[in-house]
Amino acid sequence: MARAVRASSRADTVVLVACVLASGLLMILPAGARNQVGSVLRETVVQPVLALQRTAERGRNAILEREGLAQRLDSLTLAGARLRELELENQRLRRMVGLGEALRTGFVVAEVLHTQSLGDEHTVTLTAGRDQGITPRSIVVAPDGVVGMVTTVDASSSLAILWTHPDFRVSAQSIGSNVLGIVRPHVGGEGERYLLELTGVAFRDSLNPGTLIVSSGLGGRYPAGIPVGTVIGEVKTSEGWARTYVVRPAVKPQDVTTVMVVQPERLGNGVANVWPKPADTASRVVRDSSARADSLSRAAAVAKADSLVRARLRSADTPKTSIIPPKPPPL
Amino acid sequence: MVAFLILVTLHYTVRPLLGWRASIDFLVIAVLLLSVRMRPGAAAALGFITGLVSDSLTPATLGAGALAMSVVGFAASWLRAVIFADNVVLHAFFFFIGKWAFDLIYLVLARGASPLELLAQAGVWSPLSAALTAAAGVFVMLAYRMTLDPQHA
Repeated sequence: MARAVRASSRADTVVLVACVLASGLLMILPAGARNQVGSVLRETVVQPVLALQRTAERGRNAILEREGLAQRLDSLTLAGARLRELELENQRLRRMVGLGEALRTGFVVAEVLHTQSLGDEHTVTLTAGRDQGITPRSIVVAPDGVVGMVTTVDASSSLAILWTHPDFRVSAQSIGSNVLGIVRPHVGGEGERYLLELTGVAFRDSLNPGTLIVSSGLGGRYPAGIPVGTVIGEVKTSEGWARTYVVRPAVKPQDVTTVMVVQPERLGNGVANVWPKPADTASRVVRDSSARADSLSRAAAVAKADSLVRARLRSADTPKTSIIPPKPPPL
Repeated sequence: MVAFLILVTLHYTVRPLLGWRASIDFLVIAVLLLSVRMRPGAAAALGFITGLVSDSLTPATLGAGALAMSVVGFAASWLRAVIFADNVVLHAFFFFIGKWAFDLIYLVLARGASPLELLAQAGVWSPLSAALTAAAGVFVMLAYRMTLDPQHA
């Protein structure tokens, strides 16, 4: 029994030695021969294993690539968002340049710092002051229209109230029908917080939604022709003698980044042609005018036709063979 | 034998999928688990074949893995009494030592790396890999016992 165990143990040792020798032989083989042995193994018994590993590697690469693709997509989305911001800024600056060219002289460009604190959200700081030629009560405008007015001027900065400020007022008129009124901030609910209202409109006048409201030049502070907003609709008030209209402002305070402060001496020359009238407003005015003209001409035509008919009837009633001349119409 | 094939499959699927530097060596687990149920000579032969399969993918070190695995298989079979002890920590230690021994033999025989790299591999990465292999080995062994050998579990 012990001999059998010893023999078995010896056989195991022989197998181990054989394995070690075979491994050693493989290790000392020339590189070419080693490659050949490896190649034979890879093409036969190892092939299924190799296929498994290839599939696993592809899976891993797909997972890694997916993460990379997601990151790239994120980066592109971010870049797209930035591009949109840049596009908007570019558009704003181009319009600002256009406004500058239209004004030619007598203005100061300033950046707006929205450093509002709680309870004072209607005031902004401008990055230009006395040294740049800004004076108190100068008007602040943007390419879209009225922004506000300078209240305090320091050497290199100034404070301005926005049109949302409770003290803001501007004398205004509608384009086309020249309906006059006073524009001031609309005191409404949270949803109507950033709207204006045109007050003091004579009861005989009415405005259609979409009508452009511009400064009228009355009052001497804001020259005529600066866009203020567009009419949204009428507000019912207790005042029976005047109408009030809610106006959508031309300038959104949160979008204001760069403004122009118009100097008082420039206001004397007027700014009527600086802001082009919107095409839709102009066309609406033309359409309304032509509609009025059409109705007038229709009425005139009808009246003319009626007179002709009347004359024809009159002439038909009068006997043509009569020698007695017709009676002259009574005076 | 089925468990052995499953472990070989895992070695060539899970390992590349994870792509860890200190990876689980399912081949060592497979050889150790089967070796304890074989005679030392058969275990050495099994280790040789398994190592040769592994080496075929790295022809530059052909034979190193076969030799290392032969030694590990033979030693595992020879130390089977330890394996049959129902002690999880001992099993983990067995897998740890098996993997580390395999790595050390392989690193010495492969001779591809600089001494510093060899030291880092043997002292840092191999023990980490051995620890992971030990954890996986214990898990596999417990799962194996619960499914195929419930009365022993």
